[in-house]
Parts: sequence; structure tokens; C-alpha cells
Amino acid sequence: MSIDPRLSKPAGDEAVMIEARGINKWYPNGYQALRGAELTVRRGEVVVIMGPSGSGKSTFLRTFNALEDFQEGSLKVGGLTLSNDLRQIDAIRREVGMVFQQFNLFPHLSVLENLTLAPVLVRGRQRAQVEEQARRLLERVGIGEQADKYPGQLSGGQQQRVAIARSLCMEPEILLFDEPTSALDPEMVREVLEVMQTLAADGMTMVVVTHEVRFARQVADRVVLMAEGQVLEEAPPERFFTNPSHERTRQFLSQIA
Amino acid sequence: MPLPPVPSRRSLARRLQAELFASPLDGLISIVLITSSVAAVLGLLHWATRQARWAVIQANSTLFAIGRYPESQQWRLWLLITLLAAAAGLSWGLLRGLPQPDRPAQRWPQNDRLALLLLSAMAVLGPFSLKLSVAIQLRWVLITALLLLLRWAAGRWAQRIPGRWQRWLPLLWPVLYLLGMVLISGGLGLIQVPSSEWGGLLLTLLEASFAILLCFPLGILLALGRRSDLPLLRWGSVLYIEFIRGAPLITLLFLGQNILGFLLPGGLAPERVWRAAWVLTLFAAAYVAEAVRSGLAAVPRGQMEAARSLGLPLPLALIHVVLPQALRVALPATVGQFITLLQDTTLLSLIGLSDLLFVAGTVMANPQYLGHNAEVYLTLAVLFWCCCAALGLGSRALERRLDPNPLPSS
Repeated sequence: MSIDPRLSKPAGDEAVMIEARGINKWYPNGYQALRGAELTVRRGEVVVIMGPSGSGKSTFLRTFNALEDFQEGSLKVGGLTLSNDLRQIDAIRREVGMVFQQFNLFPHLSVLENLTLAPVLVRGRQRAQVEEQARRLLERVGIGEQADKYPGQLSGGQQQRVAIARSLCMEPEILLFDEPTSALDPEMVREVLEVMQTLAADGMTMVVVTHEVRFARQVADRVVLMAEGQVLEEAPPERFFTNPSHERTRQFLSQIA
Repeated sequence: MPLPPVPSRRSLARRLQAELFASPLDGLISIVLITSSVAAVLGLLHWATRQARWAVIQANSTLFAIGRYPESQQWRLWLLITLLAAAAGLSWGLLRGLPQPDRPAQRWPQNDRLALLLLSAMAVLGPFSLKLSVAIQLRWVLITALLLLLRWAAGRWAQRIPGRWQRWLPLLWPVLYLLGMVLISGGLGLIQVPSSEWGGLLLTLLEASFAILLCFPLGILLALGRRSDLPLLRWGSVLYIEFIRGAPLITLLFLGQNILGFLLPGGLAPERVWRAAWVLTLFAAAYVAEAVRSGLAAVPRGQMEAARSLGLPLPLALIHVVLPQALRVALPATVGQFITLLQDTTLLSLIGLSDLLFVAGTVMANPQYLGHNAEVYLTLAVLFWCCCAALGLGSRALERRLDPNPLPSS
């Protein structure tokens, strides 16, 4: 992991994977969570979204796989336009994996079953074949020997790595991370970030909501600052952290430093 | 791993002293309670062995068991009992013989020998004390022997049954249930036995099992409906649940007996036994729905979100992720509802169906057995207690089996 992952990535105009334009979202109580949020993510890019709490960054991320709806704006994910068509939504979710802050592993299934459930049920693949792939993925995230345990028997860091492997088992085009290390003890943060870094190096398209500055500096292609439901600043990590153009970004960076 | 502290072993006398006679007042209370309970038990034993006339039970045991089911067709019930015993033995043996790969310690039942002993004793002593004819006593012994034989055989050869067969084996029970219905009521070449001739324990168990089997899926659907985003579904479920829970069962039973006859054109209304069974089902479903709803509320939102973001459509996410967790939480409350339902079947005697309580009433009204109510009621209580205890034991075994964290986390 000493190689800078960005070096291995092809530059230039790649296919647009996510295109969000002017997204407005109101909660039922009238509070406006997103105010014209915009973002474009190309194939193989790693975009980190930062921002103060309540800035709408998690909400924005969750619109990408329709866990949150929105009232105005347009959103294209993986070439499909997000609409109210349920089949379209399921089609998008098959291609967009998500890793949650609270892991959300299925506690009544073993680790292996957590991984194989969706590929067998949704993609209709052979169980034996999926199990083999699942064991390979668990090896890859460094917990091959835990396949037959239950989530409740694993540490937080191990659980989050299982959650990443579970998403990967669906062979998604895009992976969304919603504060993947915020619920972890400090010593477990690194093992999860390392897995994410390898994924980025392998060319996975990733959108990551996180407070991990070091991860953003080392892995991100672009860093985005959200505040009050808008994307305020969007820049390569070097510029974002050393010479941001927006006053609000400077303020935020001084707060988390 | 450090060992948990071992409680210091004290002699029995010491423990008794500490727990019962710690202070003079404690001692006084203990002595009063112990003497009165010993007196009560002795009194009961004295009554049961000296004063009670068990002839009332012995002479009417067939009536209690099956009511006025025609004698010429009773072989069908014997066949059903034999099949049930065979299926029970097979399942028992398989449960013992097939270790769960992920939880080897979870075998059922845990005190296997005790269950065997109890079963054998019941098969020999039960028919004997009821003074049944030698032929029938022999039948019970043979049926129990069949059960034990199949248990032994299934336990021994369980490992050799191919995996795809194992998955289909639980289906034996629903098939057997339908077959039992045919055997009891007739059809498929058997003479019809009208439901008005079913009675006693047979009718009670039939009504209860029918209602339990159907109210469970119905209750799950109602609970899901109550949490649905679709207003029509939600309000429909709420209205149904609150209407049913707002009315006493007995009024609903009378309503079912009378209204269904008016509403449906002649002949279409089900027979009275089935009307009552449906009322029981619909009644229990409302309560089961509330139990399941509490289970659904206990499953974190993130579970559904995780399932959906893996691309699982809503029905699959419910079946494979949310419901297994919700039903495990709801299991104790649901089984409590089943037990209530079993006891509520006694209300059927009030609408004139010859269930166990109704049969007891006719026996006690017989001038030959006047003044023997206590024997009859005690027998009834023991019969119901056995059925409810079986439900409770089964539920606890299932709860242990479904526990997602059976082993202490290391």
C-alpha cells in the first residue's frame, strides 16, 4: 500500500457514474435538508464528502441509492435516471453498494450467509459459486477464518470489513460509504481504512462521507465540502486542505484540525 | 480466558438455614408455609386415593377423548394416532441425530432420557389406570414402541439421508395435518363423519390447531399492514385489529354462529364447527398481529436499509432479513397468545359445540355420576395443562434454536 493509488488510475474523460443536478429535499416537517446539491462522479474516481454535522452530506449520499427521496432536481446513477419506478430503484441498488456507519450486518445469519444472501436471491447465482467468491472476498479483507461465525462474535472493525465484503459480493459498479469509521474504536479505524484504500487502488468508484482527513488526502481524487445542504467547495485534496477558495471551508478545516 | 467465580459450595442444611431460617420471623413464616403446603398435598392425595370415584373418568374416557365419533369409524383415528406417532418419532430422531453445523451444543430435547422415560410410563400407566380393555392397552404400547423405534432408527441413520431430502422432511407435518383432516372428516373413499359428531379432546385440539396454524400467517400480514406506507392498508389493518380487540370472544362467537347463516345464501355458510374455527382464527390473528408488531418494532431500521441497498426487493427483504429477527422477539408473546387460544376453545361449549368442557358437562349431568364434579374438572385441568405445557416447552426449545448468539462471544 506504499504506492500512491491515484497513479495507477487512467486519467481523462471516463464514463459518468453519478450525476446529481440541483437536488432539493424537504423533510415532511418542512425542514429543507438539501438545497440544490450537485455532484458528478466518474468511473474509478474516489470522492470524499466532508462537512459539519447537519450539513446534509449523509442525506445527499443516501439519495444516490434511493434510501432518501427528493422533491426537485435530477439524478442519474450508472446510466439510469432515478425515478419513482420501483424496478428502476432495485436495478440501481443492485449496482450501488452501501457501507453504513452502524455496519447493519444481519445478526441472525452467519458471516458467510451475510455475503451470499443477496447474490443468490437477487442475481440468481449458484450458491456454491457465490460461497467460493464470498470466501475469497473475506480473505481479501483479512477475515477469511471468521466465515462461519456470527456478526455478534466479531469486533467492530471486523464487522465493518464484513459489511464491505458483503457489498462487494454483489459486484457493484459504485460503492457508497456513510461515515464507515465513525462508530469504531480508534485502533480499529486503520484496518477498515486500509481495506478501502486497496479498493480505491483497484479502481472502484467510491463516494465516501468521512471525517478522516488523512484518508481524504491520500486516497481521494476530489474532496467536497457540504454545508447547509449545498456543495460549497470541490477541489483536489492538495488544494482543498492547503488553499481552499471558500471561507467556509477554511473555517471547517480549522475546526477539525 | 478467566473462569467465572465458582459459588462456594455449602451443605444443604446450611443453605436451608440461610434461606429459610435466617431470623426468627423468617423461621416462623417458613414453618407456617411448609406445614400448610404439606397439609394441602396430603389432603389432595387422601382425596384422590380414598374419596374420589375415578369410575366417572374410566367409564367415559372414550367420550372425553372423541365425543360421539361413530364407533365403526374409530379405526381412522387410531390410524391417525399411529401416523402422528411415527412422524413424531422420525422428527425426534432427526433432531437428535443431525447436529447443527454451527451450534453443536443445541440439541433437542436436552433431557432426552427423561422424556423417553415419561413417555413410556404414560403409555403403560395411562391406559391401565383408565381400565381400558387389554386390546386397547396393547395398542397404546405398540404405538409408543413404534415412536421409539423410529426415533432410534432415524437418530442412527440421520447422517446418511441426502441433504436435499432433509430440506423437504419438515413438509411431512403439513401433509400429515391435511391427511388427518381427511381421516377425521371422511372423503377420498372414506365415509363422511359430519362435524357435529366430533367432540371431546379431538374437537378441542382440532379447533385450536386450525386456529393456531391460520392465525399466525394472518397476524403477520396484519402486523405488516399496520406498518405499511399505504394508507388504505394501514387503516384497514388498524380498524380490523382494534375492532376485534374491542369485542369479547364470546360475542364474536355468537355473532359468527348467527350472522354467517344470514349473510351467506343457504348451504354456502360453513358448518357450525368451522364457523367457530374461523371466528377463533380471526380473533387470535388480531392479538398475534400486535405481538408481531412489537417484534417488528424491535428490528433496527438499518436492517431494512441494508437489505434494500443490496438490491433485495421489499418482500425478499422482509422474508429473509426483517421477519426472522422480528418473529424471534415476538415468539414468547405469540406462544402466550396460542395458549390463551387453546383455553378459549372452552367457550365453544357455550355455543353448543361438544368440546371437552361440553362433554364434561354432559357426563356430570348423568344421574349415574352425580356429585363427581371434582374428579371431572381435575381431569380437564390436567389435560389442558399438558397441552399448554407442550406448547410452552416447544416455544422455549424454538427460542433457543433461533438464538443468533448461542455461544458466549469470545
